[in-house]
Amino acid sequence: MLVYTMRRLVGAIPVLVLASILTFVMVDISGDPLLELRTATPPPPEAVIEQEAERLYLDRSMPERYWLWVTGIGGEGNIGLLQGEFGPSTQGQQYEIGPEIAERLWTTLRLVGIAMLLALGLAIIAGAVSAMRQYSKLDYTLTFVGFLCLAMPTFWLAGIVQASGVEINQLIGENLFKTIGDGRYGAEGAPPWDQFVNAFAHMALPTLVLMLTSFASWSRYQRTSMLEVLNSDYVRLARAKGLRDKVVIRRHALRTALIPLTTVFALGVAGIIDGTILTETVFQWRGLGDFFITAVENNDSYALMGWLLLSGFMVILANLIADLLYGVLDPRIRYE
Amino acid sequence: MINSLPSAWQAVSIAGGSVYVVQMLSGVLPYTGQWNPEGEYEYNMDVLAEEPELVNDDPDEGPFEWKFTFDEDAVWSDGTPMSGEDLRATWMMSASPDEGYCEGCDSRGTMSADKIEEIETDGQTATIRLKEGLADPEWESVFDAHSVAGGFLPAHLAEENGWDIDDPAQLGEYYEWLHSTMPEWSGGPYQIVEGDLNTEVIKEPNPEWWGDEPGLDRIRMPFNDDEGTFYNAFVNDEIDGANPADYNEDVFTQLEGVDNANMGIDEGSTWEHLSFNLEVEALQDVELRRAIFTAIDRDDIASRNYEAGYPEYELKNNHIFGNDSEYFVDHYEDETQGTGDIDAATEILEDAGYEIEGDQLTLDGEEVGPFSLRSTDSSVRNTSVQLIQQKLAEIGITANIDMTDDLGTMTAEADYDIVQFGWSGSPWFATNPEQFWHSESGSNFGGYANDEVDELTEAVTNASSLDEAADKANQAMEVLVPEAYVMPLMADPNYFFADERLENVHDNLNSSYRATYNIGEWTLADQ
Repeated sequence: MLVYTMRRLVGAIPVLVLASILTFVMVDISGDPLLELRTATPPPPEAVIEQEAERLYLDRSMPERYWLWVTGIGGEGNIGLLQGEFGPSTQGQQYEIGPEIAERLWTTLRLVGIAMLLALGLAIIAGAVSAMRQYSKLDYTLTFVGFLCLAMPTFWLAGIVQASGVEINQLIGENLFKTIGDGRYGAEGAPPWDQFVNAFAHMALPTLVLMLTSFASWSRYQRTSMLEVLNSDYVRLARAKGLRDKVVIRRHALRTALIPLTTVFALGVAGIIDGTILTETVFQWRGLGDFFITAVENNDSYALMGWLLLSGFMVILANLIADLLYGVLDPRIRYE
Repeated sequence: MINSLPSAWQAVSIAGGSVYVVQMLSGVLPYTGQWNPEGEYEYNMDVLAEEPELVNDDPDEGPFEWKFTFDEDAVWSDGTPMSGEDLRATWMMSASPDEGYCEGCDSRGTMSADKIEEIETDGQTATIRLKEGLADPEWESVFDAHSVAGGFLPAHLAEENGWDIDDPAQLGEYYEWLHSTMPEWSGGPYQIVEGDLNTEVIKEPNPEWWGDEPGLDRIRMPFNDDEGTFYNAFVNDEIDGANPADYNEDVFTQLEGVDNANMGIDEGSTWEHLSFNLEVEALQDVELRRAIFTAIDRDDIASRNYEAGYPEYELKNNHIFGNDSEYFVDHYEDETQGTGDIDAATEILEDAGYEIEGDQLTLDGEEVGPFSLRSTDSSVRNTSVQLIQQKLAEIGITANIDMTDDLGTMTAEADYDIVQFGWSGSPWFATNPEQFWHSESGSNFGGYANDEVDELTEAVTNASSLDEAADKANQAMEVLVPEAYVMPLMADPNYFFADERLENVHDNLNSSYRATYNIGEWTLADQ
């Protein structure tokens, strides 16, 4: 498995390089990073614009800039992926893209980590129960809830959850839920319980939104997959052999039915980076979604490239993890 | 709450140059004076020992020169006295790179600083001299709350960190440090004790503050760029108030219904206007432009947009001065422009040789138009352009609405025939006329050129006093208005809200600091 993993990782390098060239060209031609400066009122002196162009390496050709972005050779020490530098930002000299991405990634992971685990658990249970009780009232109810969550636009769902949180607070007379921010300075130096309460208050509502939006589609996949497995010959055989229903479901059916969900889940997790944009906006979390929006608004090419690179890397990694998980879930699959 | 994310720790640079940075630094940055909400200029007598002295206001008799003297008690939060060197360092960092004082500095507004020849310092006194032949009608403004830095910066911290402010490379390093480092220093009633540029800053009283004791023990200033969240956050006691940058009728009316909300709304500093692209051949005819502006009903546009939340709205009849300014002159009093009078517009067109055949305006048998009518995609501007389109149809002109999200590209490339967008005004007005209408200004997007206006706008910038500058600005408008190049519509209203348990919190629409302009005076009602 180790050799397979290494082979896949090495194979990912040309994919990443090609993807980076393509995205670099697309980002480069999509807008002028100095546009805001050129159209600022009052207009800044020409010397400031020239200085800024030089700082952003816009005085060089696009291929030169790409080479510089990758290697850093010929740069001012603030650019070159191979040197651990993501390049200068249009958002000012003080804006360091690498540390910013790292901090934002941690914020996003904190937000989505629990949401994804809860959504996955709920989707597996709901999907399996729905399949086992096909066409029952419970199945219809879960199907309705799933489609409802799927149909609601994220920003709208987030708004409703936010307003509901405020209503609950007013009903119980406690500020149990917070509607904005991650509360990072809310309980610094406080006892652990207070820190937990503060974290819970800020995380509960956005986590619920992310959980519901992910759960909805995943539970449908799980239900379909489970139905397929329950109607397969080997499950019928297991039942015919007299195995108890619980054993059939747990050991034979569910494990196989999880395989399609693994792919969906892995890609879903990879897509989380861009999928949280709306939730982060409504709940004012400064994660990678907000980073992306800010980079676009500022025509910040190198910041966008950093975000896209991370996004591409996550997709490749998630696919690899999904492939490896197949081996765990399905004994027929072996990696050599 | 601050209505967007500040992108740097100081406001001098291009990246940091926003009202959000200035508001974040409220109570921290010292300044020499500011406009109060009533439109009166107040010197900061906590910082100054006496009102600044204008030593020479006649450039023909020697350099235009004035003097600031700091109060003996005025100190930074580390106990270092404020001095003339602070002003000198701030000036050098605010000047353009061509001046050669600061390597790598990218000041967002260099006009005032570039006029200065030298700043002579003597302890707590700074004498500022302009370059030969230059004057500055807004000389008090160079280090005030409305200046490029939002005040002035400490010079002694450069030396403490090993930088010499007279070495351009080292001053450049200091400049970068100031913009990238959370200020643990302060020259005001509060100091920042915690925070970052993504989420919030937390302020506590500056123990070295020598003025009246600030009324609050701790102020949290979260950054929130989604106005849709204001109501819930306010009702849920997560924020105690805000001064949003934009008027949003839904949010405003929602907040108006909250019992403990102390609300305020008034004419803001941004004003909407319509402008022509004079590169378009048909629009080079002043009579056609006058007829188009006459057909447009400004009051209808304003009332449809603001009547519900701000019925006290007023039309803007002077491009530079607000209706309550002492320099206000009504330049549209005897004009038909903006009245929506279709008969008058038709008469202008017919007198100029145009004909309306059916529902089409023609000149010498040729169709006039269609014209592209562009703006950015906001609810106010969407309503506005639709009303304009209807009115122009009544005089036989087809206007094709084309909204954009990229105002910068559209205006820079003059990619429009008729455009609506906003300009930002200020009680300090002297640079605006030149910026808006001078033939060589990069912001005169529609290409208006008139030698007389050029001369008058240059005279505004280089006047010796505000009265003289205002007079020249009004003269420029007298020439400009009949030429129907640009027509002001109305000022956008701005609102603010605060929890009624807070006292002395009110908006200041004359300042970028907005409601934070007097942060040192905020108190709790039960105190």
